[in-house]
Amino acid sequence: MTAAILAAVVLFSLFAGQLPVLWLTVVCLLTALAFWLLGRHHHDSVLVIDVYVRRSRLCKENAAYKAGASAILLILCICSQSPWPPLCLFCFLSVLTVAAGGVGLREYASLLGLPAVFLLLSGLTLLWDFYAELPQQAALAFPFFGGWLAVLPASQSLTALVLSRALGAVSCLYFLSLSTPMPELLSVLRRIHVPAVVVELAVLIYRYIFILLLTCRNMKDSAASRLGYKGLRRSLRTTGLVYGGLLANSFRRAGACFDAMESRCYTGQIAFLTEKRKLTAKIVLMLGAPLAGMAGCVFLGL
Amino acid sequence: MTAFEKKILSFSVVAGLALCVPQTASAMHIMEGYLPPAFCITWGALCIPFLAAGVITIRRLLQQHRKAILLLAMSGAFVFVVSSLKIPSVTGSCSHMTGTGLGAILFGVPATSVLGIIVLVFQAILLAHGGLTTLGANTFSMAVAGPLLTWGLYQAGKKLKLPKLWNIFFAAMLGDVFTYCITSFQLALAYPSAEGGIWASAVEFLAVFAPTQLPLAVIEGILTMLVVMGLETYAKTELNELRSEKGGLFK
Repeated sequence: MTAAILAAVVLFSLFAGQLPVLWLTVVCLLTALAFWLLGRHHHDSVLVIDVYVRRSRLCKENAAYKAGASAILLILCICSQSPWPPLCLFCFLSVLTVAAGGVGLREYASLLGLPAVFLLLSGLTLLWDFYAELPQQAALAFPFFGGWLAVLPASQSLTALVLSRALGAVSCLYFLSLSTPMPELLSVLRRIHVPAVVVELAVLIYRYIFILLLTCRNMKDSAASRLGYKGLRRSLRTTGLVYGGLLANSFRRAGACFDAMESRCYTGQIAFLTEKRKLTAKIVLMLGAPLAGMAGCVFLGL
Repeated sequence: MTAFEKKILSFSVVAGLALCVPQTASAMHIMEGYLPPAFCITWGALCIPFLAAGVITIRRLLQQHRKAILLLAMSGAFVFVVSSLKIPSVTGSCSHMTGTGLGAILFGVPATSVLGIIVLVFQAILLAHGGLTTLGANTFSMAVAGPLLTWGLYQAGKKLKLPKLWNIFFAAMLGDVFTYCITSFQLALAYPSAEGGIWASAVEFLAVFAPTQLPLAVIEGILTMLVVMGLETYAKTELNELRSEKGGLFK
């Protein structure tokens, strides 16, 4: 609901003075409606992205190429000086993730809703500024504590650029995270010589996340079945106790894991098996096209 | 009511609705693609010394105690899990903890900054909180600046012999508030306002995010306090192994 109102307000301020008011109102109401409908779709599981990526049809492709191409696309996207190339990239990669990757449209849309509140709140801040006197070219303005809050065309174009860059970049991130499983990304990190300690830590953390999430869910369920989350005061207390218990539990598990590793001749290095993935023409073409397009747009200054 | 008063009233209603009933209030990650390239690089560069110190500390620790890597990994996973789960909050909306304050109190700043950057990468890829281009800025605010203040306040409080639980509460809460101030400042530096410059823009960002972030900081403080209390009750031996003055891993 909040996101829907925010979206309408931001959109209205973004295009005020550029579109006829009637059209603008219709567009704002439609956007708000879309946000409201999508906002009602909730997941109870936390690691939905990890589930989608394992089902993705692109998850068997070469991870290094996907990671490299996504990184270059990200950089090109935030270097763009016009809002159009990132918007095109957003559309292209979204279609790629949904159609070629096989992620459901509804799931993808609800993932896009995650950064929406940040994007809209900060968009509002970029658009509206406080002025001591009413500026001449203001597209929207109203009096506020002895001065004026106003939207200028300059801040409208800046906000459009920032929002489109963010959207484009989010689509790059989602393409990567919805097509490449975490262990493969970590093996790419190992190949680009990130310190071994960091990669080992990351691999272990990734594995422990699932164990801890499961333990935490069991603890929460049993606390909830004893009415542990009734009222704010008691639920804060329960949450603190659950987290404390979880941390104590995880320290103990770490001790047990260490004993198991010692008894299997652990010498301070963990060796991982990685599968080789061939680079296929399909994925080269899929990402080569937006790479060429974005590079062209950014270097020609379009 | 005059037309002017009506306008003010309607604006206040919209603003109140929009700002005071936040749907999700995760710790303030700057989203993917939000900062211009120069700022991404600068904030990333500022984190490098802390990360290098962290890697060196962890490496040295591992040479002496091989078990430490498992403890650190478990703690990293704990920070991630805690930051991905909803915590009860005042407005009935969902919000998440950062958990790095707890890390700073238990492991010190360098180790926390390394754990922090790993957790931030995982958050970006697995939870879509934050992003890869803004990793440097987010690492600086959440894994360096916040823990640094928390750790400093906690040590100062210990020297001044403050009651232990209050000390932890204030250190964790103010660390969270500091993180939010730094993030607002990062946003303002990147996008200064047309008339008032950086400071006016910083005030705007602080004001817009305050309704979600200030209650979150208080809750984070309370939870950190409760977690440490729970650890002292149920995991005294493990805690001593970590933090005792003689022979503790992270003294």
